[in-house]
Amino acid sequence: MPATPPSADHILRRLASSDSEIKFKAIREVKNQIIGNRTRKLSYIKLGVVPALVTALAQPDATSALIVQSVVALGSFACGLDAGVRAVLDAGAYPHLIRLVSAADYKVVDAAARSLRMIYQSKLAPKYDFEQDMQFLLSLLESRNENLTGLAASIVIHSCKIRDEQKVLCRTGALEKLIRLFDGSLSQRHSSLESLAAILKDNQEVVYEFVNIQNGRALSSLIELTKDRYSRTRLLACLCLICVTNSSCYLQDLGIKTKLIDVLLELLDDSGQVGDDASFAFSSLVEEKEDLQKLAFEANAIEKFYDHLQNHGLRPKRLEGIFLALSHLCSKLECCRSKFASFQVVNILVDALTHDDTNVRTAVCICLKSVSRSIKILSSGYFTNERIVAPLVRLLSDPSTCVQASALGAISNILVDFTPLRSTFTRCGGIKELVQLAKSMDSFIRLGAVCALKNMVFHAHKMCKDRIFMELTVSSLASLICDPEPYVQEEALALMCNFVDGSMDCVEYAFAGGGIILDAVQRLLQKTSKTGIGIQGMYLLSNIASGNETHKDTIMQLLFPQAENVPRSFFSQSLRSFDSRLRTSAVWVIVNLTSPASPGAFGRILKLRIVGIVSQIKRMANDPCMDVKLRARQALGQIITFGDS
Amino acid sequence: MPVRVLDNTTPSQVSGANSGKSSFQSCSLLGVGQTPLTPKIRHIEHGVPGFRVAFSGTQNVSSVQKDEAWRVNVRIQGCDLEHGYLCGSMEALNVPMADTPVVTFWEGEIVDTKNYTFFTGKWEATKEDDIRHWSKFPSFSPLLGQVEADGGKSLDLSNYPYIFMRWKEQYFVNVGTDCGLTIAGFYYICFSCSDGSISGFYYDPNSSPYQKLELKSTNDGRSGFSFSSYELQ
Repeated sequence: MPATPPSADHILRRLASSDSEIKFKAIREVKNQIIGNRTRKLSYIKLGVVPALVTALAQPDATSALIVQSVVALGSFACGLDAGVRAVLDAGAYPHLIRLVSAADYKVVDAAARSLRMIYQSKLAPKYDFEQDMQFLLSLLESRNENLTGLAASIVIHSCKIRDEQKVLCRTGALEKLIRLFDGSLSQRHSSLESLAAILKDNQEVVYEFVNIQNGRALSSLIELTKDRYSRTRLLACLCLICVTNSSCYLQDLGIKTKLIDVLLELLDDSGQVGDDASFAFSSLVEEKEDLQKLAFEANAIEKFYDHLQNHGLRPKRLEGIFLALSHLCSKLECCRSKFASFQVVNILVDALTHDDTNVRTAVCICLKSVSRSIKILSSGYFTNERIVAPLVRLLSDPSTCVQASALGAISNILVDFTPLRSTFTRCGGIKELVQLAKSMDSFIRLGAVCALKNMVFHAHKMCKDRIFMELTVSSLASLICDPEPYVQEEALALMCNFVDGSMDCVEYAFAGGGIILDAVQRLLQKTSKTGIGIQGMYLLSNIASGNETHKDTIMQLLFPQAENVPRSFFSQSLRSFDSRLRTSAVWVIVNLTSPASPGAFGRILKLRIVGIVSQIKRMANDPCMDVKLRARQALGQIITFGDS
Repeated sequence: MPVRVLDNTTPSQVSGANSGKSSFQSCSLLGVGQTPLTPKIRHIEHGVPGFRVAFSGTQNVSSVQKDEAWRVNVRIQGCDLEHGYLCGSMEALNVPMADTPVVTFWEGEIVDTKNYTFFTGKWEATKEDDIRHWSKFPSFSPLLGQVEADGGKSLDLSNYPYIFMRWKEQYFVNVGTDCGLTIAGFYYICFSCSDGSISGFYYDPNSSPYQKLELKSTNDGRSGFSFSSYELQ
């Protein structure tokens, strides 16, 4: 083999030679040189070798031997290299390869099928048209040739993504053909199971059809395959069964669920890809399902995943899978979180938070978010360790927005006030990072940052609030209240609510900057139709109204600037809202404005009578919602102390 | 609140009346009515409004030897209505054997007849103990008959202006377990939705019976009620 790449002219001349012997040798040379050699592949792609190969195999007088060499070389270019796939497709190889799959010479057929499988392992592969080309696919599935059935499976796995495609495959009998392959070679069994999972996924109708094939015998065969001696077979069978349980009422009995959990936990012991994939399969089994999480807990799943975490030098994929599985296990059940928190995992967590792999960093943050979804664990001080906080704060400026978002989720939880953690977080520069993210162009990041700030301000000491308020600035807060995204607006109001809660002097936060925050709040409440925003806004106004006379009078002015428009005002509409939570929050404003201890209460009550609010409150004394009723009666009780009209 | 172990006295008998069947409703005074933000994030739990110093009062820890009452502050920190769960902290302020206020973390069960009934079923509390303690709350008397029959499973508490709970302290937050205090017992609690007051009775077979907890909602020097919230994602 030459030590340096041949010159462009030389190789291309030989590939285009009219002498078939020269051409054949050149093709074979290219094929041999590029095997497992990424650099060489890229260099040949740049030279334009790929189109030359396609031209060679398309010649009418091309021999089978030449075609095989060309096809194998093309497959090699496409193997694990997107640039290679792109070059092969751009050179127009695809239709030739499809044609060659039906060639008379079995060597050509095999080579073409293998090369097409290389292409279909890439996302760049062309989308297969199942409606148009179903017969061809079915003919592949009916073949005895493993390469052809393998190609069919690759096509299905790559291209079967939407319900209509799944239904077409189901309707045309692809399921039955795939089921027959359960009894084929190991490779065929694996291909058919993978394809089956793609067809069944999230499709209740197709699952129903599958379950009824051969009066349930197909499903029984699938269950049997979870006991197969090959681990990959067991894994793929589990994946198919998970599709069935997730999309239907079938397989809901305890026995099957327990079996799936046991098989997947046992597959974790496989040191290869099967073990990696088992974690992900486990996640899809237990995700959002409390009953399965409970079963898994009883099967000691948390301990098993923890034991695997203890192994050194885990591949990134393995680590990612384990952390994601733990995050799902701990998502709903306190017992799972407590079990995880009982382990010595700080070193493991720190390593994962600083891992080179983006997906690992993301997964560990998601795991921390799940575990920290517990007031009991937060109160115990589990997350006060600076060794965890410092890298988490650094992840707020991670180059990947996925990592940033997942770090925000974890930090948001651990900032809830039950631990001294806030000082640790502040020392690590966390406030600056959060404030920066609150200005992100990405609305999801902005939302997460505001939510985290809200949690940090919740019950914070005045000194901590001052620091955050100063860093955030009045104008940023007002901007967040006017944010284009309603969810951000809502969070911003809740953040303000937390700022003005607490000691009396905290109310002054709402008046900072010459009142631009209150102006923004008023404008938002006047124009919004979102109940959530209305509710947060009312609680914010209520908090301000629990302050001194100036605070209360400001709220009166904000709510009732003009007496004649009151029935149509946002406040009056809130009192009449269909949503009892909004009615409750609005009544709280009145409770605070009419607090008997305040000197100006009489004057405010008079005004509230004039604008018709007292009458509205009276009608709410028998509200069907108990909370509204009690609060309305509380307000009326206060109003009556000043005399009833 | 942590208590010293004291001599038992014979509990008294009480009787009462009955009612219907339930699904649980929130009360914003307890804080569970603080609205969730528009649910775009799953698994949200919400903080509780107005608990800067949410509830404040006393616990009577008298014994035959002396009269004694500890000042107590209670914060409700979290609430999960779906599972009938809440939790918080309790701070005892003038504990004789402690240099500083003693803070404990407690977890509560809301008697919603779905997750929890009036029968405790643990913590060495028999059904008779349960009835005796609940009956000490005047607001319980209309419910007594049904509770005696089935623990109150068929009661409708959805419009009842009182919330019944059990609070169990789980651990000391700021002192060690060798502080000479015990948190072995639990509280029977009655919360009034109309005025936010809390009364409770401590139960521990090894302590004086019916130590009474009386708390009122506080508002930190404000002229009204103030609200705050957090979200656990």
